[in-house]
Amino acid sequence: MHLHLDALSLLFLGILLPQVVAGAMAGMRDSVTFWVFVLGMGLALAAADAFTLVFGFELMSAASWLLVLRGDQKPATLYVGVAIFSAACLVPAVFLPAGPIAFLLIVLGAGAKAGLAPLHFWLPRAHPAPPAGVSALMSGGMVKVALYVIIRYAFVVLAPAAQPWWGGVLVVAGAASVLIGALRAMLETELKTMLACSTVEHVGLIAVGLGIALRAKAMGDGAMAGLGLEAALLCAVAHGLYKPLLFIGAGEVKHSVGTTSLNWLGGLVRGMPKLGLLMLGGAAGMAALPLGPGFAPEFILWHAAIAAAGTGGIIARIGFTALLVVLGLSAALALGAAVRMIGIGFLGRPRTLQAAAAEDARRWPLIGMALLAALCVPVALLPGLVLYALTPVILLLAPQADAPPLTYAPLSLAVLAGLVAVAAGFILHRYGVRGSREVPAWNGGFGKPPPWLPFGDPATQPSATGFAEPIARAIGRGLLAPGGADPAEAFLLTPLTRLHLRCVRVAERLRRATIRQRLAFIFAALVAFLLALGLGEGG
Amino acid sequence: MVLAFFLRLLATLLHVALTFALAPLVMGVVTTLRAWALGRRGPPVIQPYRDLYKMLRKATLVPDTATELFSAWPVACALSIAVAAMLVPGFCTGLLTAPLSDFITIMGLLALARAATMLGGLETGFGFGGAGAWREALYGVFAEGALLVVLLCFGLLAHGVTVDGIAVAFDTQHIGISVSLGFALAAMLAVALTETGRIPTDNPSGHLELAMVHEAMLLEYSGRNLLLLNYAAMLRLLLWMSLIGAIFLPFGMARATDILSWPGGLLLWLLKLAAMAVVLPLYEVSSAKMRVFRVPEFLGVAMLLGMLAGIFLFVAARIGA
Repeated sequence: MHLHLDALSLLFLGILLPQVVAGAMAGMRDSVTFWVFVLGMGLALAAADAFTLVFGFELMSAASWLLVLRGDQKPATLYVGVAIFSAACLVPAVFLPAGPIAFLLIVLGAGAKAGLAPLHFWLPRAHPAPPAGVSALMSGGMVKVALYVIIRYAFVVLAPAAQPWWGGVLVVAGAASVLIGALRAMLETELKTMLACSTVEHVGLIAVGLGIALRAKAMGDGAMAGLGLEAALLCAVAHGLYKPLLFIGAGEVKHSVGTTSLNWLGGLVRGMPKLGLLMLGGAAGMAALPLGPGFAPEFILWHAAIAAAGTGGIIARIGFTALLVVLGLSAALALGAAVRMIGIGFLGRPRTLQAAAAEDARRWPLIGMALLAALCVPVALLPGLVLYALTPVILLLAPQADAPPLTYAPLSLAVLAGLVAVAAGFILHRYGVRGSREVPAWNGGFGKPPPWLPFGDPATQPSATGFAEPIARAIGRGLLAPGGADPAEAFLLTPLTRLHLRCVRVAERLRRATIRQRLAFIFAALVAFLLALGLGEGG
Repeated sequence: MVLAFFLRLLATLLHVALTFALAPLVMGVVTTLRAWALGRRGPPVIQPYRDLYKMLRKATLVPDTATELFSAWPVACALSIAVAAMLVPGFCTGLLTAPLSDFITIMGLLALARAATMLGGLETGFGFGGAGAWREALYGVFAEGALLVVLLCFGLLAHGVTVDGIAVAFDTQHIGISVSLGFALAAMLAVALTETGRIPTDNPSGHLELAMVHEAMLLEYSGRNLLLLNYAAMLRLLLWMSLIGAIFLPFGMARATDILSWPGGLLLWLLKLAAMAVVLPLYEVSSAKMRVFRVPEFLGVAMLLGMLAGIFLFVAARIGA
């Protein structure tokens, strides 16, 4: 067991640290399994040899399985199955010589753990299961550790054998994750499941950035490699801040209201103002809105994709054009998902009495969230500075990387907005009528609700399901499996389950065979063996 | 050096002042011309100014089911549109805001305004606002995809994606009339019509709440909140006109450092705006509003045209045309 820290490990440890603190504040401080989980992630990140890396990775998997199991039995089985698959790919891969097989096994093994399509189906089931602090760390930290393994091997360990198509593999898998993740985030009504789907989307964005960089590095294009890496690493940093924040917030909603189904929430900002504002900040990051933490990575990634579309063969160019469509669609879907989360869950009228009576979040989780939100501020307003801090990592991964300077300047935009705000405020204050009056809602001329329904009839309010239904109709039908199921689940998991069942049946029949059948079987095997031997000798 | 900076500052201030002052007028011209085209007399062109002043003097009502953030959404919407309008070059290139005018930043600011409006629609928790919000979300998904792929076409032709850079490149380089740009224009017009809430996707003068999109989200707003939202809608129309003008009709744009070119640039900018303000109502009266679920098909065609524009460019680069 050897440990060694370089710029890449330090960056990912830095991404991990605030989440661990926030997760511990969110009620996981006394759980031994939680700390073993953290230890496993730390070991995997600080490992200097392949054995330590795999040991840490599996320690992380095992501990998180226990944590998932404590939350919910059903996804835990699926989770441990995927973890075993990922180990089965990783363990041989780290000991293989550098080459395409090692790379593909790493992408399969670590990608399954990170939630890259088509092996992402477990993530929206398993991540919401454990308590919020653990969900936060799984979504913000564990997938990053898996991505770290991909980065470490694709860019450093296997670098001498790298070829441009390796990047293509990552881009395709990433684009599929982005689209499916964003679409499912728009359609899910359960808050934590929705956040987990959004994690799939962001993992996809990081993978697309990494893929573009890997391809550009193999082709010797320093500018594009720099852009891709900047996008991927900045996205990893930002996502590691706002996603744990949102997960902890979802846990507090669960604690306070008793449910996280958006269809049973509503108007939470009234009872939980602090939580509501923090969630609004997190949602701005998730939706990649300008002046939020999520915009700069998306900005760089779009630039990288546009630059990539100008290079390579015509098929690759057309592929990158399609990638741009996917990125645009997904960005707007992510925006819709974030608006739906805030608009349906936190604004509007309460849909249940529990939602109406919600009280603000407990103190320690709120402090953890505030810590994450405070760290989001520099990422949101000074992305150039964060990119400067990332330079050693980028140079470590691609020594020829040379990205053009960032042309997105949030501070200048904020100054412009401030100037407009001052001018508008002056006009409204000087010439306008001040103050406001509270009245019953106009609601297109419908009357006031009756006194026995203090918040009006909840059924007249748009629901989360109804809000997403048109998108399910316009896009979901084409992209999702019948019944709105995840395509990976319907076309990969279900056939595998069926195959497994069939094999089990055959095995069971063999086990239950009578003595006569067994003797016949052994006799037939003997005859076949002798026949083969005889034919082989004769030939 | 100092003089150049001073001139650029002056041009920027002039651009901002004109944009903010002319936005209601453009909306008024479009409304009046539309009424004429329909055979009605229509309001005077300065009616939007009067409406804005009226809203300034009206009391602001807040529904009792709304949360504390009710008045924050109009401010967020208006501010992001205003910043975006300051970035898009109007009569001249080389403004002080030019380095910021990345097309993706502008798309982000428009998305921010859209998100704020949608949240405002969901705020009171009544059906009409929610219906407007989900329609906006649906349209936005397709519009953003189409816009990003059109951007690829500009990026390849102009070797950069700041609006200012695209305008300069298209003005000075010999791009000529290409099939790709034609497709890109068609796609961009479809997106612009959707984003500004015009026929065929939305009807700005509709009076039936069930069929509204943009207006449905504003139903509960009044007084200064409504003023901000309506003014943002006017600015958005002018912004899209300037954007299309800067990219597809960049001829005759002045340079900020050359004060003698300003009058010509100003005149041409006003002419371009006027031409677009004539074409828009003519198009609107000659077509009908679409069913909600036809709009994704409309924008899907735009997306396809954007992709085709890119692919044609690749093929052209391959065969050396």
